[in-house]
Amino acid sequence: MLDMSYEGKEFDSFTYEVERCKIKELCKAIGDDNPVFFDKEEAKRNGYKDIPAPLTFGTVINFWGYPEIWDRMKEIGVNIQRLLHASEEYEYLQPIYPGDIITGKVMVEGMRSSSMMDVVTFKSIYTRNNETVLIAKMKIVIMTGEQ
Amino acid sequence: MALPNYDSINEGYELPLLTKESIPKVQLVKYAGASGDFNQIHTVEEYAKQAGLDGIIVHGMLVMGILGQMISDWAGIKNITKYSVNFKAITKPGDTLTAKGTVNRKYQDEKGKFADCKLQVEDQKGEVKVTGKCTVKFE
Repeated sequence: MLDMSYEGKEFDSFTYEVERCKIKELCKAIGDDNPVFFDKEEAKRNGYKDIPAPLTFGTVINFWGYPEIWDRMKEIGVNIQRLLHASEEYEYLQPIYPGDIITGKVMVEGMRSSSMMDVVTFKSIYTRNNETVLIAKMKIVIMTGEQ
Repeated sequence: MALPNYDSINEGYELPLLTKESIPKVQLVKYAGASGDFNQIHTVEEYAKQAGLDGIIVHGMLVMGILGQMISDWAGIKNITKYSVNFKAITKPGDTLTAKGTVNRKYQDEKGKFADCKLQVEDQKGEVKVTGKCTVKFE
């Protein structure tokens, strides 16, 4: 059962330093072999100052920078084993590069509960030197009805 | 690959397809480590079964990553301003995924020239795994 008192609540902020090898590792795991993610010179030829983080890198910042998110989910009443990812949304304001120190802040934007399922939306704001670089929203669904 | 000229694309323009043949189980292990998402429904068969699934399932974010590869190959990371997906169906190891996209609206305003694209990932049977959209800014 969800603890509805968490709706609108912000969790502690965290920092994450973007490591070059994590950018490459994520691209390798996806199977994305675009050389802009692996070769700094190739990235520069394409107008980047270094290899840029790929589109879904926010997930790395979130899980590696704030692994406590799993405890937070349990705290608010999410059954991790029954959790399904419903949607993910990114807004890109600035490219993210190796060496960037990113500050992340996660909040519970919305909660809904019915006899069949719980729905929770998290919003994460990522900043670098107080400038927002990325905004992410994740919606999860937890099936609660009898199977 | 370079983003085509704004004037050369029309509504209905199809983005180049990207296909990933038969996602191997080991890719889920790699993706778990890379992303830090260690939910065991993606890597441990017994755990997945206990959770009521037939077996381990592909991380939704890996599918989003593959679709993201298709759009960033086409448009370049720096030209993408928004990207979102809805997860429609479970993807299993062994599924072959095809990422597709179509320009469904192009427009100009005080901030520049843009195209909104409609996106989709489907498997070998044509089942839709993910629908999505992205906005691309033209220089």
